[in-house]
Parts: sequence; C-alpha cells; structure tokens
Amino acid sequence: MYRSQALAIKYFSAAMTLFGVMTLFGLISAYYYLNPDFLFGILPFNIAKIIHINTLVIWLLMGFMGAIYWFLPEELGRETTGIWAAEILFYVFCAAVAVVAVVFIFVQYGGSNEAALWFINQGRKYVEAPRWAALGIVVIMVVFAYNVIGTAIAARKTTGIITVLMIDLIPLILLYLIAFPAISNMSADLFWWWWLVHLWVEATWEVLIGCIMALALMQLLGTSRRIVETWLYIEVALVLGTGILGLGHHYFWIGTPSYWLTIGGFFSALEPLPLLGMVVHAVYDAGAQHMKTTNRPALYWMMAEAFGNFIGAGVWGFMITLPQVNLYAHGTQWTVSHGHFAFWGAYSCGVISVLYLVLQKTRNLAFVDGSLWRWSFAALNLGLVGMTGALLVSGFVQAFVERAMGGSTLNAFISGQENAWFVDGMVARFLLAIVFTAGYFVLVWDVLTLGRRAPAVAAVSPAQ
Amino acid sequence: MSALAALEAGLLLGLYALLAGIWGVLWALAQFRQNPIFGRSAAAAYGLHTLAALTIILWTPLGFGWKCLIVGSSLVFLVLPPMTWRLLECTHQNEGSEHARKPSQHSRRLVARL
Repeated sequence: MYRSQALAIKYFSAAMTLFGVMTLFGLISAYYYLNPDFLFGILPFNIAKIIHINTLVIWLLMGFMGAIYWFLPEELGRETTGIWAAEILFYVFCAAVAVVAVVFIFVQYGGSNEAALWFINQGRKYVEAPRWAALGIVVIMVVFAYNVIGTAIAARKTTGIITVLMIDLIPLILLYLIAFPAISNMSADLFWWWWLVHLWVEATWEVLIGCIMALALMQLLGTSRRIVETWLYIEVALVLGTGILGLGHHYFWIGTPSYWLTIGGFFSALEPLPLLGMVVHAVYDAGAQHMKTTNRPALYWMMAEAFGNFIGAGVWGFMITLPQVNLYAHGTQWTVSHGHFAFWGAYSCGVISVLYLVLQKTRNLAFVDGSLWRWSFAALNLGLVGMTGALLVSGFVQAFVERAMGGSTLNAFISGQENAWFVDGMVARFLLAIVFTAGYFVLVWDVLTLGRRAPAVAAVSPAQ
Repeated sequence: MSALAALEAGLLLGLYALLAGIWGVLWALAQFRQNPIFGRSAAAAYGLHTLAALTIILWTPLGFGWKCLIVGSSLVFLVLPPMTWRLLECTHQNEGSEHARKPSQHSRRLVARL
C-alpha cells in the first residue's frame, strides 16, 4: 500500500468521526425547535448550528481528500509527491478542527474587533472558522494541490480525470480566499460571500465529486477509462454551464441588482437537465452489470448518489428556484429541506461509496455484502428523506404564513413558528433525525467490523 | 403573486421536475426489460409531466418568459433519456478491447470463481 493510501484511511477515519459530530449537533439543533430552553445559558442554538454546518463542510472535504489520496497513486502509478507534508498537515488539520470546536463551544462569542475575527469567529455562515484556522485550511488545500499536480509532473503523465481535477483545484483554493476580507458594506460582503459558498458547492465540489466518482466507477464496475472520461467532460460542462450563473438564485434580500434574480432563476432552472442525464447513466450502468458487483454497498451508495442528487438538488431545487417562489421561500425551512437533501445526494452518498471501496481493498475482501450495511443504508436514507419531507412541510408554513401573508414582520414570524403544521413538521424532523442517527451508528459498526465478521461477509455470493 | 399561488406554483414545479425524473428512469428501465409495462409507465409519467407543465402554464401567475422555459425544459426532458442512452450505447460499443480496461473488480470476481 502506498503511503498516500495510508493517509487516505486516516482522512476517512477523521471524516467519519466528523460525520458523527455533525449528526449529533444536528440532532441537538433539531431539539431546540421542540424545547427552546434546552441547554439555556450553556450552549445557544446558533453555536450548535454553526458546529453542525461547519462539520458538514469539513467531513465532506476530508472525505474528498481521502478519496483523492487513495486513487491518485493508483491512477498515476507512483507515490504521491510531498506526501510527508500531507501527513503532517493531516494532524494539523485535525488539531485545528478540535481547537476551533472547543472555542465555539466554550468561548462562543468575541467582541466586534479584529481579535475576535482572528481567534473566535469570522461570523459568516459556513466559514465561521476564525481567521487563523481559515489560513490553515488554505495551507492544507495548497499542499493538497501540490500533491496532485506534483505527482502528475513527477510521473510525467496525466489522465483526463487528473487533468480535470488539477484545473478544479485552482478555483477551489482561490474562491476560499473570499473567506478572509471583512467588507463593512453588508451587500458587497454577502455578494462575494455567495461566490464562495455557491461556487464551492455547485461548481468546484461538483467537479471534484465527478472526478472521484469517475475513478470509483472504474474500480467498482470496471468501466473503461474512455467512457468515464467522456462522460466526465460532458457532465462537468453541463453542471458548470448551469451552475455558475445559477449563483443569482441566492441574491435575494441583500441589495444586489434585480437582474441577478432572472439570471439565477434561469440558469438554476436548467440544473435538473444534466442531473437527469446522470440518473439515466446510473440506470444504464446498473442494468448493464445486472446490479452484480463484488462490493454491493459501494454500488448502492453510488446509485443513491445519482438519484439523491437529482431529487435533492434537481427536484427540491426546482421547487424554489424561480424568483416568484424563491422570493417567499428564501431562507425558510423549505430551503433547509433542499440543502439537506442536496448535500446528502450530491456528496455524502459518494463519500460513503468510496469508503466501502477502500475498505474492500484494505481488508482484502473478495466480496462485500451482508445485512448491516443494508440497515444503515435504509435508516440513513429513510431518516434523511423523512427529515427533508418534514422540513418541507414546516417550510411551506413559513413561506405561506410568515412571508407571503404576514410580510416577514416579527409578528408574522411568531405566527409561523406557532403554527401547528410548523410545529408538527419540527417534531417529525426530530424523530426522523433519530432514525438517521441510528443509521449512522450502524454504518460505523459495519465499517469497523467489516471483514472481521468474516463468514458473514466474505461467504456471501456476489450474484444474488 | 398571492400567498397561495406561490405555494401552489412551488409544489407544481417540484412535481413537474419529479415526473420528468420518473419518466427518465422508467424509460431507461424499459430499454432493459422486455416487459411493456415499463414503456407504458414511462409514457404515462411523461403524460403526467406534460399535464403538470400545462397546469403551470395555464394556472400559475408566472411570467411569460418562465412559462416558455417550462415548455422548453419539457421538450428537453422528452429527448434527454433517449439521447443519453444512444450516447451511452455508442461509447460502450466503441469501447476498446480488454487492454483499454483497468483491472476491475468484476474480472477479479471471475478469477475468484475459477
């Protein structure tokens, strides 16, 4: 095994741990809606939410990095260049995440000064990490890019997938630099902040997961390189073509010119088209292989990725993307529902799929199957779909009662929060979050014991 | 747009996209299975998708431009699965022989069976 692949396993371990932290703080955040006095004076809602959202970003990022560190040496036929630096930075990354979490939980607030920005919280959603930690992330990403590009140079070769990956890493790093300036004009600040959030999630991350899925498909189904590369180019072009200017669908209520609403609505309304193409592609691949594989969980999670991406990002996004609806739905639980489903479908399922591929290799398993992964697959997906459904109901109430009827006043906000449908939606979301959490624990148990419960896994026929 | 119309439009738009997805999946399944029920179900799904599109066009207060987008998207949704399929078949047919393939888990399974 390459050192790079040993590092990948560490990244996957850290990602799975943070997945758990994200789930725990999501559960806590959900409970605040049922009992607003929960942890009163100890841990406010906004801090729990910050940790929930930031661990989401970090666990996925670590999962992506783990996947790349795993596939890169196999793809280019040599050890990753500068792996020693990556190994050191992994521990720095983990330590920084722990320190930031401790600061968020125990310090919580700073003053309105530079020191607070540097050491406590930068204050912008998704990139709340204090500036020192954000600088650390830049250094880690630069070294990551150096690892990828340096390996290609040292190997004196590249592949279509690695070339796309190398190109993608440049905007990935440059866009993150938007996390730093503290612009005093709020409209200007939010305008640029959306560049970071949107273009990471709906552009550069989409390309990154596209590259990872292309590499995973070659291992999982033995799909030829030419096919995955052809489709990678097509899908990347379509996703970027619709995703980049879809940026405008966030520009509500922040003082940006109104033409952005039309541009954003138009391009993001096109986003379901390439996603449908991916679904047809997934059905084709699954049918061509008759769903036979040596790694069932990896295949099922990969299928869940294609379908989840279409439904979460495509269908849920299409509901709210036209400006006439977005005007009311923006920032309600309706968009929270979309966010949960889209992140799950587009990214989380893909990372779990690669994790199972890695486990098969590291534990030297001829076949991967069994019952545990099915339970976790069912509980995680049912929990997630149920949560998004419940959030959708609450979001309808908010958009209807609070926004459209009440005109977004404080009284309207209270009316919306007290509405029976909203409350019921929040109760259902919490209960289904428990199902999701149970699914997480089963997943962890399966991952930890896979191959060690030898007869149950290895003896299962692959062609059931 | 009134409060109720906004809600209705949102739901209809979601249904519209969901039915397009169901049409695509059923159409793709119909290519594998000889059972004509898949083909008929796919046609029914696209029929319902068209109905959702018509309802959006005739019933919701969306602007003319957005309604044109709905019509255009429906047409693209109609041709997208067959086009994607043809392209997939084309790339797979032109696929090189074994030397172009990376050692796959599929082939390893055959070795394991032997």
